[in-house]
Amino acid sequence: MAADIDIFPTEGNVRGPLIGSVALHGALFALALFGYLIPSGRGESWGGTSGGGGAMSATLVSSIPLPTPPTQTQNVLANQSKGLAQSKPKETPKEEPKAIPIPERDTKRKGPHDTTQKKPPPKEIAKAEDNKIPFGEGGPVSGPYGSFTSGSTKGGLSFTGGTGDFGSRFGWYVDGVRRKVSENWLKYEIDPNIDTARRVYIYFEIARAGQPENLRVEQSSGIPSLDQSALRALQRIDTFGPLPPEYAGRYVAVEFWFDYRR
Amino acid sequence: MKRYMAIQLTLFLLFAITGAFAQDWIRTGTGLGVEKIRLAAPDFKQVTTDSGTQNLAMTFNTTLSNDLQSAGIFDMVSRSFYPLSVPGAPQEVHLSDWGSPPPSANMLAFGNLGVQAGSLNVQGWLYDTKNPQSPQVLGKQYREAATDENARLVAHRFADEIIFRLGGGIHGIAETKLYFVSSRSGTKEIWQMDYDGANQKQLTHLGDIALSPHVSPDGSRVAFSGVTKDGWQILMYSLELGRLVNFTRFGGDNYSPAWSSDGQNIAFSSSRSGNTEIYTVSSSGGNAHRLTENKGPDVSPTWNPKTNAQIAWVSGRTGLPQIYTMASDGTNVGRATDQGYAVSPSWSPNGQFLAFAWVRHYGPGAPGASDIYVMDIASKQWVQLTHDGGRNDFPSWSPDGRHIVFQSNRTGKVQIWSMLADGSETRQLTTAGENSQPNWSFK
Amino acid sequence: MEEQLKLTRSQWFKVVVALAVVLAVSACGKKKAAPPPPPPPPSAPAPTASLTANPNALNAGQATTLIWKTDYATSVTIDQLGKVDPSGSSTVTPTESTTYHLLAKNDSGTQEATARVTVMPAPAPPPAVTSDETQAQMFAQNMKDVFFDYDSYDVTQQYQQVLAADARFLKQHPNMKFTVEGHCDERGSTEYNLALGDNRANSTKQALVSLGISGDRIRTISYGKEKPFCTESTEACWAQNRRAHFVYQR
Repeated sequence: MAADIDIFPTEGNVRGPLIGSVALHGALFALALFGYLIPSGRGESWGGTSGGGGAMSATLVSSIPLPTPPTQTQNVLANQSKGLAQSKPKETPKEEPKAIPIPERDTKRKGPHDTTQKKPPPKEIAKAEDNKIPFGEGGPVSGPYGSFTSGSTKGGLSFTGGTGDFGSRFGWYVDGVRRKVSENWLKYEIDPNIDTARRVYIYFEIARAGQPENLRVEQSSGIPSLDQSALRALQRIDTFGPLPPEYAGRYVAVEFWFDYRR
Repeated sequence: MKRYMAIQLTLFLLFAITGAFAQDWIRTGTGLGVEKIRLAAPDFKQVTTDSGTQNLAMTFNTTLSNDLQSAGIFDMVSRSFYPLSVPGAPQEVHLSDWGSPPPSANMLAFGNLGVQAGSLNVQGWLYDTKNPQSPQVLGKQYREAATDENARLVAHRFADEIIFRLGGGIHGIAETKLYFVSSRSGTKEIWQMDYDGANQKQLTHLGDIALSPHVSPDGSRVAFSGVTKDGWQILMYSLELGRLVNFTRFGGDNYSPAWSSDGQNIAFSSSRSGNTEIYTVSSSGGNAHRLTENKGPDVSPTWNPKTNAQIAWVSGRTGLPQIYTMASDGTNVGRATDQGYAVSPSWSPNGQFLAFAWVRHYGPGAPGASDIYVMDIASKQWVQLTHDGGRNDFPSWSPDGRHIVFQSNRTGKVQIWSMLADGSETRQLTTAGENSQPNWSFK
Repeated sequence: MEEQLKLTRSQWFKVVVALAVVLAVSACGKKKAAPPPPPPPPSAPAPTASLTANPNALNAGQATTLIWKTDYATSVTIDQLGKVDPSGSSTVTPTESTTYHLLAKNDSGTQEATARVTVMPAPAPPPAVTSDETQAQMFAQNMKDVFFDYDSYDVTQQYQQVLAADARFLKQHPNMKFTVEGHCDERGSTEYNLALGDNRANSTKQALVSLGISGDRIRTISYGKEKPFCTESTEACWAQNRRAHFVYQR
C-alpha cells in the first residue's frame, strides 16, 4: 500500500571494539550487581499520605499535572551564546598503571557502593538558578556532555574524549526525556512541609523501544517523599519513544536529578 | 584542592568503563526549561507545477500545518519569521537561517511534493537545527495515487511521524476518527468524521433515535443505543460491512455502551431488573454480570483504559447525579464528585484523569453552566476547562491524552468542539444540524 | 332464472287463459254460433321491437322492470325470460350486469332489441366504529399521566390518587394493554435523562402493580428528553415534560 521509506543519511558507524576493558568491566559489573539497590515497588497509595485530605474535598488548584505548556524559561536561543558549557575544563587523566586510555565513546557505570564511599556527592548549590545547564540549548553542545559543580570546585567533571555523543547527536531526544519526566512529576506527592530540598538523583536506563528500566535512587535527597515522588514520576512513564535508529547501543543510561522548590 | 579533584577524577575514571555494551549516558534534570518545541514547517516545495499539483499541494500543506499546530506539543514558528528561501531538499537547507532569530526554531520540517503519471510523490524531512553535523531526525518518502483524499492522508501520516518522534513516543492523532450523533438527516443517527472535522459521513439509517456511539478498540464496530421494537437496545454497526450486525438483546431498556480497552468487554446500563443498573457483558454478547444494585438511576459507565480494572459511572443514588468509581467486578465503590450535577465521565488513556461535565450549582431557579472539568482521580483535585457559560457535555479523550472532544451549545445549536486537555485551542468541528455525544477512536 | 321461467310460464298460462277467455268472450259477444274463421293473415310487415329496463343501473339485490313492446311479431322471446307476450313488462332482479336480448319473429322477418342493466357492487356498509378505536379513545380520556418533581422519580401523594383512579379504570377494562413512557425536561444530560425517565416509567408501573394491575399488561420505555411535549425553556414547560405518559397498545 503506502510506500513509506525511511531515508537515512549515510554515516559511518563509529564503534571501536573495547576488548581490553572487558575484564575490568566484568569485575565492576559483578560489584555493581552485588550492591544493586532494589528499586521500590510501584507506589500504591497515590496521594494517600499527601496533604490531599479527605476524598470529599475538591480544592481548586492552579496547576494540575496535565500536559500543559510548562513555564517558559529564558529562551537561550534568542541570543547568540553558544551556551554555558564552556566553563568546564578539559582534564587529562593521570597516568595510572591500571588506567586504560579511554577511547572515544566511553561509558561510565557507577556502582552505588562506590558512589557513597569514594565519591563525595555533588552538593546542592543554594542558588540553583545559576545552574543553567543547557542540554541541547544554546547551540551545539561543545565540550564534554556532563557538567556538575561539586563541592567548592567550579567547573565539573569531564569525561575525556567525550562521554559519548548521544546528547550532541540526539539533543532532541534528551529534550524529550526531560520534558516527559518533568510533566509526570507530581509535586503534590511530596510532604507539604518541605520547602526546599537537596537534589535527588535517579538512575535509569532507556531500552531500545523507549521504556525506562532499572530505576533506582542514585542519591537520596534525604526526604523520602521527595525520593518517592521522583521515582513515581518515572514509573508513570510507559515510553520515551524508541531510541533513534542511528544510535547503535542497546540502551542509554540516564542520570536524572530533581530540584524541588515549593 | 587540586589533589582532591585529582583523586575524585581518577576514581571516576576508574569506572569509566567501556564494554561490549556501548551504551551512552544522558544526564539531565528538572528545572532546566521544558518549553515547547519550536517547530518551523514551511510549505513543501512543488516539484511539478501544473494546476493539479497546486491543488494537492494546498490540501497537503494546509492539512500538515493544521495537524502540527493542533498537536499540542509544538510552539509553531510564525510564518512571518520564515526566511525567504524555502528548502525542498536537504542540500537546499541553511540550518543557521532557521535556528537563529527571528525564527529561532528548534526543529525544521520541510520537503517537496510532485505529481508524476497520476501518482503523488512526497519527500519529507525533520531536521534538528542545533545539530548541523547530523541534523536529520526523520526522512520519509510517500507515494500514493494523486487524489485530494491521499494528499490529506500523506500529510496526516507525516505529521504523525513527527509527533511520534518528538512527542516522546506517543502516537499522533492525525489519522484518528470521531463518532457522533447528528440530527441533520431528520432523525438522530450515528455519524463518523476525521479528528479535524473532515469527511463527515452518516453510518446508521435507523429512522428512529440512535444515541451514545462508542467505537471498539480495534476500530471494527461501533456500539450504540437505539430504539427498536424491543425498546432501547445495544446495537452494533460493523464498519467493515457497512451495516448493523447481531448483538444480544436484553430485557428492559439498555443505554450507554462502553468498551474496555482490550476489546473484551462492554459495560452498559440496563433496566432489565426494573431499575437502571450497570452491567458488563463480553464483546460477543454473552456472560452478562450485574455490577450495581441500588434504587437510583445508574448510567454512562467508562473503563479505566490503562488497567481495565475500574469503571467510573454516573449514579443518582443520593439525588442529583454524581460520579462514582468501582472495581470492574462492582466492589470498592468510591465517590468522585461531592456536589452539583456531574455526568458523562471519560477516563484518560494514562489512567490518571477523569474528564466530565459538571454543573457545580444546580437546582431550580439556578440555571448554572455545564462545563467540562478534569479531575486527577488519586488526589480528587480538579481543573475547570471551559468557562463560556453555555452547556458543555460529553467529553471524550483522544488516544494521545492531550486532546478532548466535547459538545457545546455556545453557538446557539449543539455542535462538536475539540480542545487541548488544558482547555486551550478550542475549535468547532461541525456546523450542520445538531451534533452531539462525540467519541474519540482508540487509534 | 329457472324460477323466473316457471313464474312466467304460469303467468303465460294465465295470460293465455285470459286471452282465450277474452277471445271466447269477444267471440261470444259477436257471433255465438260459429267462431269466426281466423282472418287470412295479411302479408305482415317485419316486426318491430323495443326493450327497455327501468332502472338500467342498480345495486346488487335491487330489482328492475323490463318493458318491451313489439308489433307484428308472432313470436317474442327474451333470452333470459323465454317466450313472452309481444308486449309486456317483467320485474327482474339480476345479480350481475346483464344485457337482456329480445327477439321478435314473424313470417316476414325478425327484429331484435336489447336492454342493458348495470349492477353496481353493493356499497361498503358505512364503517361501524371498531372496538379498538373506541378503546383507544376511552383510554386516552380516562388515563391521566403522572407528573414528577424535578430530578425525582418518586410518585408523590397527589399522583398516587391519580394512579388510583387510573387503576380503577384499568380494572374495568381488563383487556387493555398499554405502555408507560418516561419523560424528562430539557435541562440535564441526554444519557442521565434516559435513565431517569426509565426510573419514572418503572416506578409508575410498580405503583399500578401494587394497586392490583397485572404487570404483563404494562410495558415501559424511556424517552429521556428526546420527545418533549413542549419546547419552551420555562418552568411551566419543564413541569409538563417531567412525566410518565400512558399510551394505549393495540
